[in-house]
Amino acid sequence: MSTAPGVASPSRAGSLRDLRRIAAFTARRLVALFLTVMVGVYLTIVIANMGGEVDELRKLQIRSTVAEQVRADPAFADMPAEERNELIQRRVQQQIERRRLDEPFILRSIDYLQQAAVLDLGRAEEMHSDRGSREVYRIIVERLPATLLLFGTANLLVFFVSVFAALRLSRHYGSISDRAVIALAPSSAAPGWFYGIFLILIFAFIVPVLPAGGMVDVPPPDGAWAYAVSVLRHMVLPVAAMFISSIFISIYSWRTFFLIHSSEDYVEMARAKGLPAGMIERRYILRPTLSPIITSFALMLIGLWSGAIILEQVFNWPGLGTLLFQAIGHRDTPVIIGSVVIFAYLLALTVFLLDILYAILDPRVRVGIEGDNQ
Amino acid sequence: MRTLRHRLARALVLAFPGMALAGSLGGPGGAALAADDNPPDVGDRRGALVDEVVFTQESDVGKVAGLIERGSYHVFAQGVTNTTVYHRLRDSDEVGYEQAYGTSTELTLNPAGPEFANGRLNPFAVRDIREAMNWLVNRRYVAEEIYGGLAVPRFLPINTAFPDYARLADTARALEIEYGHNPERASRVIREKMQALGASRDNGTWHYDGRPVELTILIRTEDARKRVGDYVANLLEDQGFRVRRQYRTAGEASRIWIGTDPNAGEWHIYTGSWVSTVVNRDVASNLSYYYTPRGRPDPLWQAYDPVPELDRIAERLQRRDYDTTEERRELMARGMELAMEDSARVWLVDQTNVIPRSDDVALAADLAGGIAGSRLWPYTLRFRDRLGGQVIFAAPSLLTEPWNPVAGSNWLFDTMITRSLSDTPVMPDPFTGLYWPQRIDSAEVTVQEDVPVTRTLDWLSVERVPEITVPEDTWIDWDTERGRFITVGEKHPDGMTARTRTRVRYENGYLDRRWHDGSRVSMADLVLPWILTFARADESSSLFDGSYLPVFEVFQRHFRGWRIVGTDPLVVEIYSDQIYPDAETIVAQRAPSVEPWHTLALGIMAERSDELAFSADKADRKRIPWMSMISGPSLDVLERKLGRAREHGFVPYAGVLERYLRADEISHRYQALADWYAGQGHFWVGDGPFYLDEVHPVERTVVLRRYEDFPDPADKWLRFTQPRIPEVRLDGPMMVQMGSGARFDLTITFQGEPYGREAIKEVQYLLFDGEGDLVHQGRAAPASGGRWRIALDAGQLDALGTGANSLEVAVTSTDVALPTFASHAFATVPPGTMTLEETP
Repeated sequence: MSTAPGVASPSRAGSLRDLRRIAAFTARRLVALFLTVMVGVYLTIVIANMGGEVDELRKLQIRSTVAEQVRADPAFADMPAEERNELIQRRVQQQIERRRLDEPFILRSIDYLQQAAVLDLGRAEEMHSDRGSREVYRIIVERLPATLLLFGTANLLVFFVSVFAALRLSRHYGSISDRAVIALAPSSAAPGWFYGIFLILIFAFIVPVLPAGGMVDVPPPDGAWAYAVSVLRHMVLPVAAMFISSIFISIYSWRTFFLIHSSEDYVEMARAKGLPAGMIERRYILRPTLSPIITSFALMLIGLWSGAIILEQVFNWPGLGTLLFQAIGHRDTPVIIGSVVIFAYLLALTVFLLDILYAILDPRVRVGIEGDNQ
Repeated sequence: MRTLRHRLARALVLAFPGMALAGSLGGPGGAALAADDNPPDVGDRRGALVDEVVFTQESDVGKVAGLIERGSYHVFAQGVTNTTVYHRLRDSDEVGYEQAYGTSTELTLNPAGPEFANGRLNPFAVRDIREAMNWLVNRRYVAEEIYGGLAVPRFLPINTAFPDYARLADTARALEIEYGHNPERASRVIREKMQALGASRDNGTWHYDGRPVELTILIRTEDARKRVGDYVANLLEDQGFRVRRQYRTAGEASRIWIGTDPNAGEWHIYTGSWVSTVVNRDVASNLSYYYTPRGRPDPLWQAYDPVPELDRIAERLQRRDYDTTEERRELMARGMELAMEDSARVWLVDQTNVIPRSDDVALAADLAGGIAGSRLWPYTLRFRDRLGGQVIFAAPSLLTEPWNPVAGSNWLFDTMITRSLSDTPVMPDPFTGLYWPQRIDSAEVTVQEDVPVTRTLDWLSVERVPEITVPEDTWIDWDTERGRFITVGEKHPDGMTARTRTRVRYENGYLDRRWHDGSRVSMADLVLPWILTFARADESSSLFDGSYLPVFEVFQRHFRGWRIVGTDPLVVEIYSDQIYPDAETIVAQRAPSVEPWHTLALGIMAERSDELAFSADKADRKRIPWMSMISGPSLDVLERKLGRAREHGFVPYAGVLERYLRADEISHRYQALADWYAGQGHFWVGDGPFYLDEVHPVERTVVLRRYEDFPDPADKWLRFTQPRIPEVRLDGPMMVQMGSGARFDLTITFQGEPYGREAIKEVQYLLFDGEGDLVHQGRAAPASGGRWRIALDAGQLDALGTGANSLEVAVTSTDVALPTFASHAFATVPPGTMTLEETP
């Protein structure tokens, strides 16, 4: 069967149309996500600077710091007051210019946004990386492994344990363990750091078998294995704290989720057909619920990025949470913005990938005729 | 025993500020220190007394006691002011502590008005009402109840642990009695002055212009000042004021009390605090700083309006415009009286910071700066029961900013570490603030005849001459273009004079010592830092740094040149117009020290090529990294520079430096540095008792190792581990008949042993009558065995009249800045009355 020249075959034309729709959808989605990110970032810039109010605070802080430095320096002691105050003013002005606080906030905020748009994280204004770099990128990247390690371990543990435990409980609805989980679910009302304090008290002081904080022994062991073992020892308490605070509510919510899906007609039908329980779980419960599970998993992974300020403080863990805490304390806008920018881009990317993943995983999801996502 | 001591200390706090300091030092910390009676036999060990020191970061103060008990840490470098933690430390058998007194709390009063721009009344515009606040607040209550014993009452703008307080002990004591807690007097003054302002008290509340008088108190929330603010607010409410309590953190409060015009009426009282990290031997400028518009350019200071006499005295003291120390003392004494009358600030307490440490560890802590501010900690740190070992320090922050020897991190805990890595020509006494020689043999200070300078220690001499002419060959400036020093003869062909000449003679072998990388110290290490002093301020230099310019200008105002007089031994002369009251301080400020020229050379190369910058300011302006010689991206740059320097035999400012180099020094230096970098992984080379062994930036851990080739015996500074604060007991009759004399006996001891008479600077006594008026004062006479005697004749006792009296004694020592006070109450009765002593 031949096709007239210049006329595309229906299947090819359909593919092209699908491609155009996908491309248009992708472009619109990317633009929307980009705009969302920019709006989020700009709001962060404005909020982090309290609409420029923080500038005044920082100027005052500079003035006080310089005045105290001069007061404490005996070299300035017998200077005439006018000269000394003039000198203080010059030093203050230098500091203000160095931090660009002499420029209107609105201009700086646009600069921050422009840099964020091209993922140029720029230079910190007050802080340094642990190794001494002013680059925000280095400051953040340096802390990333510690956070990923700790929160990755804890969250992956919580996620997989809770999903599989929930599946099991959904099969044993009303059992003792099921009721125990329901009873313990409210324990998750307390955050991880709360349990952390008790765990430190018990296992670091009353029965001192584990370190009270830090990431590694002091001083750090020389060999890679010894170092790794030391890090693992230091992870036990914070991971346990996060695990205890999250596991029961997580199991409870997944269990409820699976119970709802377990009572779907097609699952009942499968059971009526006498299919094995394992097959029912895999094909009739897990497969259709894969999209929300993966969404939850992806968002959990993204959540690792932000760390946890108080938990890291309690365990003296050198992660991103501690970094953000310090950045807020220093009012170091570029570092705060840098953290948010990366998080925002990662979130946008995840959402975008999930859109695509949904289409692959769930045949019901299609790019609509009118270009809408259905 | 500990509890008893603590109770005693508390009781002493209630009695006298100075005595309380002595008493609290004799408490748990002191008890632990008593074990120092038998310092370890160090044999021929040199340098540090421990083998390794590890610093790590710990921000949770609450964990510290427990972590020290379980052996995780030995010392927590930061002072603790939390009373709960203090009690935990006090009750622990394994944990001791050092004490420091550098933090003060006061009430900053807004002096604007009496009517603010918004029409509200400001009672504190009236000097008398400000003064009355001294009688209203009960400083003993603040110290004992609010600070839980971790503070001592303070009345004056002088820290009670500083030498000036000891010098003015009699005046201080008289003023402390004059301004003691007296709420009735405060109420009376407030009532009179409020009425004079046109206010009326209706239904117990003051009204002005038809509205209640409302006072705004800015209360800091981060520490005990929150309770102080509430306490003061309650007192003022009792006086009939409405009080608005604004609880604010540092940043929030500074926007109001510093950031706004005091006349705008945003606040009336701010709970302020001030910190000093070293024992400051000259606080004469405090009057100018705290009470006059000269203090700071901020609006609050511009609102100060001291009486002309206070203003004049404050200015003279700040300019050091006095001829003798006695004149200075009189100015200070009068200034204190006027400051109390002015009371722009109402001083409340000097806080006691406790610095936790393991009970088996000893080290010298500075009376003001604690351990972090102590220069002697690396020289005195040890285990009480053994030599060597590893000590672990925890600090709330570490490696805060990049380290480089020119303009690197000056954060407290970073400098605490770097101080152990480099030696110093002189060493500050942690208990008096006076300087002792460390790497110098002697010094001669020559001053113009009109310059009031005092020498206390005998390692230096002071000579007075009518005029000091600066020799023509003295270097006074730097010619960047031609790469050479400019002499006084060239810059000032008509000659130049200076107010001081300091000739420093370094110890024999000063230039034969070795840096940590094994290379030998040379004259170039002394000269290069001087060149940098000038080059960094010269706009035509590639090392020019605008942020350094203001500092340099201050230096240049006083600097009149320096020259190398000899090199074997090294003798250097420095000419300057800047004066300090202590000759020891003049030497300390002048004596140049060495920096390894070969590591500086790498930094110079990196800054010249715009790859790194010594200072944060220049780094930010050029958007390049701030130089770190211990970690991070700087190391790659410096390593490349090391390769180039070795290849080309680079010597910075070679025209000058080459003549100070030994044969083959260039290659030896760079080879040593390359080996050092290969072994240690950083470029920090020093000459201190420890060397930097490991840096773990992300783990926030720094490891120092003992430098075995350090020249001094390990026990050189051990005598400074413990402050020898005199313990004083005053005995005498309880009743004295008028018309007869009386004798009082004073026993001054330290740990039960008589206090050496030569170490007692002065024993003053003050005699107060029942009204608290000073009737007589004098000096006690020495007797034997640590005893001193005060004899009052009939005329002096008659002047008291009949009734209860008080004899106050202030003991000052040359070993410690802290004065000790003692008191004895007795009654004068008419002749013929049977006294207690006569009762059978």
